[in-house]
Amino acid sequence: MKTHCYIERYATSDMLPTDIKALIPDATLRRRMSRFVRTGVATAMCCLDADSESGEAIDAIITATGFGCLTDSEKFLRNVIEQHEELLNPTPFIQSTFNTIGAQIALLRGYDCYNVTYAHRGLSFESALLDAAMQLDEGTARRILVGAADEQTPSQHRIMERMGCWRKHRDGEGAAFLLLQATPTREPSPCIEEIDFPETRLDDDTIRRRYAVEQILRCDTPQSECYPTAVARILTQAVAPAAGKQIRIAVCNNYMEAQPSVIVVSC
Amino acid sequence: MRIAVTGIGIVSAAGIGKEQTLATLRASRSGLVAAPSHFRTRHALPVGEVAPNNEELARRLGIRHCTSRTALLGIVAASEALADAGAATTDNRRTALVSATSVGGMDLTENFFPDFIRDDRSGRLRMAAHHDCADSTIAIARYCGIDGFTTTLSTACSSAANAILVASRLLRHGVVDRVVAGGTDALCRFTLNGFKSLQILDPAPCRPFDASRCGLNLGEGAAYLVLERADETRNPYCLLTGAANTNDAFHQTASSADGQGDYLAMRKALETAGLSPLDVDCINVHGTGTPNNDRSEGVALRRLFGNEVPPFASTKPVTGHTLAAAGGIEAALAVLSLHHGEIYPQLNFTTPDPELNLVPVTRYIRRPIRNILSNSFGFGGNCTALLFSNRP
Amino acid sequence: MEQIIQQLKEQLIEALNLEEIKPEDIDPDAPLFGDGLGLDSIDALEIILILEKNYGIRLENTAEAKPHFYSVRTLAQYIVSQQDK
Repeated sequence: MKTHCYIERYATSDMLPTDIKALIPDATLRRRMSRFVRTGVATAMCCLDADSESGEAIDAIITATGFGCLTDSEKFLRNVIEQHEELLNPTPFIQSTFNTIGAQIALLRGYDCYNVTYAHRGLSFESALLDAAMQLDEGTARRILVGAADEQTPSQHRIMERMGCWRKHRDGEGAAFLLLQATPTREPSPCIEEIDFPETRLDDDTIRRRYAVEQILRCDTPQSECYPTAVARILTQAVAPAAGKQIRIAVCNNYMEAQPSVIVVSC
Repeated sequence: MRIAVTGIGIVSAAGIGKEQTLATLRASRSGLVAAPSHFRTRHALPVGEVAPNNEELARRLGIRHCTSRTALLGIVAASEALADAGAATTDNRRTALVSATSVGGMDLTENFFPDFIRDDRSGRLRMAAHHDCADSTIAIARYCGIDGFTTTLSTACSSAANAILVASRLLRHGVVDRVVAGGTDALCRFTLNGFKSLQILDPAPCRPFDASRCGLNLGEGAAYLVLERADETRNPYCLLTGAANTNDAFHQTASSADGQGDYLAMRKALETAGLSPLDVDCINVHGTGTPNNDRSEGVALRRLFGNEVPPFASTKPVTGHTLAAAGGIEAALAVLSLHHGEIYPQLNFTTPDPELNLVPVTRYIRRPIRNILSNSFGFGGNCTALLFSNRP
Repeated sequence: MEQIIQQLKEQLIEALNLEEIKPEDIDPDAPLFGDGLGLDSIDALEIILILEKNYGIRLENTAEAKPHFYSVRTLAQYIVSQQDK
């Protein structure tokens, strides 16, 4: 689909300060957060805080996660097994819901707008982006916070190791959020121009020709951290060095060689 | 642009398929059983189970490989919906699947995990491979031959309603020509214990909006609608005229006292349809039976409709609360209600809550319906309302 | 009584993950919910588990038990009254 999503701002988990208290001031919310939820919410708040001077409303919050809140899910499941279904702490169950990060952002800011979560393995972030692009296009939203997070846990790593996933890939984790707008605040602004789901992984030549791009960023190189929503962070890397001349970049995802996607961004 | 509902597939404790489900609802019967039978648990609590076990479901579908119950239920409902919609006018690459689930393949994971935590070299890997939410969606798409855009939403108990909302957007934008949208969730130890730990499971059949209500009963199931652009279809069931998702932004699990999220979702769904509260003839309420949910939803109904709250009922005493599938199952029931001109009664109601003074429909009624709302609310303040209409 | 109050404070801090709060920071007479410590309905469920796990007290009717959840001191008094039974 052809899109016009101007990237107003972004934040990634790499940019977070060690103390995230200022980003998540609510102590009650904070003390219940697993590292995953904390990182995701803090990254989102980091993206929003940088924007706070604009004073403009957010019209939608769309989050993505391939595997969701693994630590909390595992903690609750372990308790169910080890305590034989008795005297279970409710907190990890509550926090294990896939939309926890999106919900906590809404709680922190009192945002009553559209707020959904996609959990579709390697295409979770692309799904969120497509939803955002459609809303910006139809004019039902002008500014949308879209982001993704996934965590690496010892159990998940071990299970996927036994499945042979790390023979070709390096495990990883992270969060990235972008504030997208229907119209740019300043010129030039990086812009997501297309989201496509080709049937098979395309080689560089085909990508250059089909999407008319000068540069290609791939999420499936041996050096890349491989997690379901890694594409969100790679997308921010594409936007980062926009110095001087305008170029078109294709960000190519193909998580575990199963679900190829191409995001075309001009910057 | 108008969006039409052209197919329905449904499976729950009320039955497998439309016909069984309608027979159960019209007879004011409940599908709840006294305790779960498909998995081992020490909690003998009433639940809405789908009768066949995994082996029977797999045999019925001709599936031989390890498949989660969530996927099996989803396949039953999605394939019924596609068959109901009839032959595709377009190729399968122009058909999308937007599915919702909250537990994914947890029913398999929780059988893998005891071995794994004893020794991380043990546990059958094929049972861990179905853990994530996408797995059931991909299994459904493969079984049904859906080759277009496929995705999964997971927003707790409003998930499937959001899948239907997103489906209408995909159609409006011409991303695809047909969408199979809904949700699926199997009952498992994880969710039963989760809701038990929250102390919101009623040991007796649930009584939404009743003064004596004290919790919900869990259920399982799946339902999908086939949606298409109205100008490209003939004789659809009805139109999806309004849809909205809002956030209560009050608490991670509790709903606000003023029902703000619920109220906004219903109001915005009406706004998108260009209709007023007076146009609503019936509401399939979320109505879980927890004191908190029904109070918030009741307050929201009063705020939107004042003293003219339309006939409403919760079908959860029949199906149990099917979590991510609930929005799909209840949307399907709303469509059937509209199509057949009938209101399915709410069971177990005797005494109005003096705080709300709202009385649901308690006996089966036949009457024409122009517009029906279906409410679905979930953890994280997630509130969704869908509006189905007989006339544009 | 003072010993149970001290013990309860430590159990609350641990179970509710009250980061940065030390036992001496908790006023045993201040309300646990709303203004005081700012606990909510989820914390109430965790406190019910503290009572059950550590003191063998099983709450059958949570509505009736509500007044006992006012402060650390009322909780301690409730524990003592139940243990005397």
